[in-house]
Amino acid sequence: MAATSTTLVLPGDEIAPGALPTGTGKRKTLKLGPGLRHIPPNTIVSTVAGALVTNSKKNAASVEYNSGRYLPYPGDLVIATVNGSAAENFNCLLTPNTPPAALPHLAFEGATKKTRPQLPPASLVYCRVVSAGKDSAPELTCMDPATGKGEGLGLLKGGMVFKISLGMARRLLTPKGDLVLLESLGGKVGFEVTVGRNGLVHVDGGAVKTTLAIGQAIQTVDDRALDDVAQKKLAADVMKKVA
Amino acid sequence: MAVPEVTLTHLNRADGSATYTHNGYSIIGAVNGPIEVSRRDEMPEEATLEVNVRPAVGVGSPKERHLESLLHNTLRSIILTRMMPRTLVQITLQVRSLPEEDEATGVNSTLTILPHLLHTSLLALLSASIPLLTTLTSLLIAVPTSSAPIISPTSTELLRAGPLQAVHVFAFAGDRRLLLNESDGAFSYDEWEEACEMAEEVCCSGGEGGVKLEGEGMDVDAQDGNLEEWLRGVVRRKVDWEQRWKKGT
Repeated sequence: MAATSTTLVLPGDEIAPGALPTGTGKRKTLKLGPGLRHIPPNTIVSTVAGALVTNSKKNAASVEYNSGRYLPYPGDLVIATVNGSAAENFNCLLTPNTPPAALPHLAFEGATKKTRPQLPPASLVYCRVVSAGKDSAPELTCMDPATGKGEGLGLLKGGMVFKISLGMARRLLTPKGDLVLLESLGGKVGFEVTVGRNGLVHVDGGAVKTTLAIGQAIQTVDDRALDDVAQKKLAADVMKKVA
Repeated sequence: MAVPEVTLTHLNRADGSATYTHNGYSIIGAVNGPIEVSRRDEMPEEATLEVNVRPAVGVGSPKERHLESLLHNTLRSIILTRMMPRTLVQITLQVRSLPEEDEATGVNSTLTILPHLLHTSLLALLSASIPLLTTLTSLLIAVPTSSAPIISPTSTELLRAGPLQAVHVFAFAGDRRLLLNESDGAFSYDEWEEACEMAEEVCCSGGEGGVKLEGEGMDVDAQDGNLEEWLRGVVRRKVDWEQRWKKGT
């Protein structure tokens, strides 16, 4: 957290120019993340309540908050639920009661017009958000458009899905966001964890007992904001239950 | 003036929620959104806002419909509806309890509950992280015939104040704009203006605006009854709660 600093903001608060990073070199233009709004010519106003996070290295600013509904952003990795199949797309749900997101039949690794993937309703798919404008339904894909490879995306088989907070999902997906809990558990049992940015985590531990124990442990870490020491203790408790 | 008590994001299934208790009024607010809107209510360039007020006892009546329309119009002006076109933001406010003397005061009960409903819906919207233009603070001012105006009176205070000349409700945006005014009784323009200035004093903070840096007089406990300071305190607690995991690691 060396390059960042936090300040409390409320909707309508003007961000003082001094609180924003000043770009240098080729990163001259300031990047605004979620929760900030630019009013031309040069006023920046927050739209949600949270902590202002600035990063002078990337010359970016955003408001960090951990509540509310997931809003799709291009590039996000999400766990979508298939709701049905239309002519060319699967209709998928990212969060309940929102308009369905489109996942084209051909957006899977190795899919052709003759060999389309068959996904029954309620199956889970790990995919990436391609586009999510406010004027159109979000579009998903299960492969890298440049290489055509799946790269870990696709149908999630077995296991169970657990709900976690959006902040926890974001934390797990950051490059150095590995939980001590999962690391210490991983040394003893084999399991697979898939994190969706829409506040879902899919756990497959082979046996139902393992899956449940690990999923609930992740939820506990999220609910109680456990630190490293408490996570290790929890991991030991989980191991006792599983073994 | 007692400071309202607030619990944020305590309902599991709603996107945002708040319970608000002040002067004997207790209200639960829940916000869902942005969600899918029915074709009939869909607006091509804006979000649709739906406000439901449920009374403490019985089913909704024209009084609740009146409150809903007041809330709808006020909240509409602070939600950035154009950022979420063709969606629905649903606000449900359940009145949990009213002070016992509420009926006996003789004051229009629409006015006495309005500031509390406005605060609850704002807090629930903050909890749901719906993009807002600004925040909102609101209060009730009662002007008795024989004594000085009372700011944000409790029901007992209203009973003791004797005959009332007028009752006003004001709501201010974070930038001191007047968002809503509902008045009842007999008053001259000067009297109204006096009441309005008093309300503004309590609702809005010093007015320097902008973001205060940490450690710059941001003491959460030092609430001198200013509603904006109170709101900042509530949000400070929400943010601290959300970021608490960072302290452990």
